[in-house]
Amino acid sequence: MEKILEKRSLQSWMKKLDSWTIYAPRKDGSERWNYGIAQNDSVGLNFTVTTLPAKALVFPQREVFLEFLKTVEESQETLKVNEVIPGKNPVVIFGVRPCDARAVSLLDRVFSGDFVDPYYWARRKQTVLVGLACDTPPWENCFCLSTEGSPHSEEGLDVLLTDLGDKYFVKTLTENGEKLVNLAKGLFKEPRLEDKKKAKAVHAEAEKKIVRRVKRAKKDLAAKLKGLFDSPLWDDESMSCIRCGICTYLCPSCHCFDINDEVDSVSPLRGKRVRTWDNCQFPDFTMHSSGHNPRPDKASRLRQRLFHKFQYFVEIYDKTMCTGCGRCISLCPVGIDIINVLDKVSDHGS
Amino acid sequence: MAKIEDLKEEARKLLREGKIKYVIGYAAGTNGWMASPIFIKKPEDVEKLVWDPTCVHNLSRFLVDEKRRKEREKQPDKRPVGIFVKGCDSRAIVVLLQEKFIDRNDVYILGISCEKGGVVDEHKLARKLEGKKPKKIELGDKGQLVVTTANRKAEFPVEELLAERCLECRANFPVISDIMSGEKIKRTVEKPFGSVEKMERMPKEERWRFWKEQLDKCIRCYACRSVCPMCYCDECVVDSINLAVSADTTAEEKADKVKWIQRSAESSENFVYHFVRAIHLAGRCIDCGECERACPLDIPVRFLNKKLEREAKELFGYEVGFDPAQPSLVSSFRDDDPEDFIR
Amino acid sequence: MAEEFEPKIVAFLCKWCSSAGSDLAGVSRMEYPPNVVPIQVMCSGSVSPLYIFSAFNKGADGVLVSGCHPGDCHYIKGNYYARRRIHLVKKLLEFVGLEPERFQMSWVSAAEGTKYTQVIKEFVNELKPLGPQNKLRRNP
Repeated sequence: MEKILEKRSLQSWMKKLDSWTIYAPRKDGSERWNYGIAQNDSVGLNFTVTTLPAKALVFPQREVFLEFLKTVEESQETLKVNEVIPGKNPVVIFGVRPCDARAVSLLDRVFSGDFVDPYYWARRKQTVLVGLACDTPPWENCFCLSTEGSPHSEEGLDVLLTDLGDKYFVKTLTENGEKLVNLAKGLFKEPRLEDKKKAKAVHAEAEKKIVRRVKRAKKDLAAKLKGLFDSPLWDDESMSCIRCGICTYLCPSCHCFDINDEVDSVSPLRGKRVRTWDNCQFPDFTMHSSGHNPRPDKASRLRQRLFHKFQYFVEIYDKTMCTGCGRCISLCPVGIDIINVLDKVSDHGS
Repeated sequence: MAKIEDLKEEARKLLREGKIKYVIGYAAGTNGWMASPIFIKKPEDVEKLVWDPTCVHNLSRFLVDEKRRKEREKQPDKRPVGIFVKGCDSRAIVVLLQEKFIDRNDVYILGISCEKGGVVDEHKLARKLEGKKPKKIELGDKGQLVVTTANRKAEFPVEELLAERCLECRANFPVISDIMSGEKIKRTVEKPFGSVEKMERMPKEERWRFWKEQLDKCIRCYACRSVCPMCYCDECVVDSINLAVSADTTAEEKADKVKWIQRSAESSENFVYHFVRAIHLAGRCIDCGECERACPLDIPVRFLNKKLEREAKELFGYEVGFDPAQPSLVSSFRDDDPEDFIR
Repeated sequence: MAEEFEPKIVAFLCKWCSSAGSDLAGVSRMEYPPNVVPIQVMCSGSVSPLYIFSAFNKGADGVLVSGCHPGDCHYIKGNYYARRRIHLVKKLLEFVGLEPERFQMSWVSAAEGTKYTQVIKEFVNELKPLGPQNKLRRNP
């Protein structure tokens, strides 16, 4: 359904949703936006883009799988294992950019299939995403139009808000979304025809403002990449890479993880099994326990990042594992530009 | 502002004559408005080099990569690499020489003096321009910064836009170079440790709350470590590759390996990581501020280094990065080092 | 009645002096608080700052590094290195807001059993009013 919400009523809407934990973009003493639990004082969705994508809320950086405790009594060993599945904690995330929501729908694919990830889904099923269409690209490196997305994409969202100046054009996209709106029925008005027209105009205008494009389209690019596995291109392009984890940790769709046992005490043996984000740019990501590392240098790691996103993922899911948010470009400390690298791939040998 | 035409000419000549392997410099970036590092192998590409107040990077970081590359290659090309350095960056090279990590013959140093300028702080600029994107930033004749955006040209005093570290800089021109551009103007800095002193004046508990809030944000992307020219250890304590293994190493031995810092980006672990980073850079950090600039969450990690830089100076009279023959801070001592804190 | 807080102290003791000093205190049957977990090291200069951070991380309420008096180092100058390094660690810990009382250094020779008990007594007394150290501790 489609509705209109006055901007000044946004706060009242959030208040009605008292059985949910509400996250919204906030500035925490620095110049950057990040999601935080919405307080009464935070009003409005006048943010640009959050540094950490919505991914961090549905797929947290650290997640406890189980706790273990081994006790010995009269030479009898007992091992207690307590599985920790996220409990009931319904969450609404306000202010999700369409690119970040599309990325969550990519994570949904990754964490289902043959192995349905119970930890991920316990959280995901309780999470409602309220998106905000971009009326102007949050930064100069947005390229969602090249990744089958758009500044007003609905994929992965439950509700899409479009900023019409003093009000939001509200479009519910799922049952969960409708539920949120129905809880505060009185706040929403029926849209007039001109509101609908205006929303469309905002969407069209936003598309025009996105200047950056990747030359080749999905399938074409994937095919081209495949032939360049051993190309010296990767050496050249990775020269300035410093091997930090910014491009992957802050990527809305990167989802590699590591599982570790964190031992708090050896006697009695007590600890937790923990999943944490991991990162193909770190040297220990592919390190074998023999000491051999099949991806020994940064060239092979940059290649892996691009291949995973634009080749392997396309082969498996017929989707690009990139939604064009531009974080890895704008936040790279040394200005490695994924669009440029992809275009060099496209032009290679031609 | 220093011009780099003569440096470019020199670079072109050296490349043409095959005297250097490549040149590390700055080029116009695609990432918005900032310059980005570039590696130039052909003389005709020297044209791409730029110099402006967005050349923030400390390129000496890439000398570490070059050394590793040489170690990996069977028949390494041992010619020196050309490198553009600012004052701060040149001090990083001094430390690398002091620690005998590189040899003086490994580098051909093309120095640029920042004169009365320095590099801009991205956030300060963003605040000034209120969301507008700069197209060009230059240092004007009167020592002001001239910022050109799509529809206007604005001028700002340097103090309003320069990075904090530039405002506290005590070496605004290279202390070591093979060729240098610009004047060696000594800038007077009233309070080289002003920002740290401000923080020291905070009550203890307030300071604790500050650091807890800041370090809780850390996602351990290790950009602060990766961008640092001094963080060149083969094995870092936070990586799990530092496990010496042989064919005889048993699974138990591997499992029992001490794990100093857990991978979880939790408060307690983040503190250990940042403590280790800070203490490991004591007497080595030359305050290029790259760690803080690279941090995607704006954690002011530079303060930790700055604090120890100040203590090294006050307690031990130690200054970093001016003399390659100086023994390092923690591998030397004076008989009268203060010990009033010892029981 | 609430029990009095008993701080846990991790003490890195030089094998050649302070550790022997603590042994002397023991065999001489001197009384001092049982709050210390002693860890013998080969020299105060061999104490990596990481040991100290790790001790706090793993729940120490206080950490002590104790070595030989200046001039007495078994390895000639290890304690001088330690003096510098530990000073920096102390400044760093204070800078982030840890109570300065929680981290101490002392010179205790093998003959100074009494001084060792004195150092520990004072340390424990200073730690008690501070309560548990939860700032840097894992799983507080």
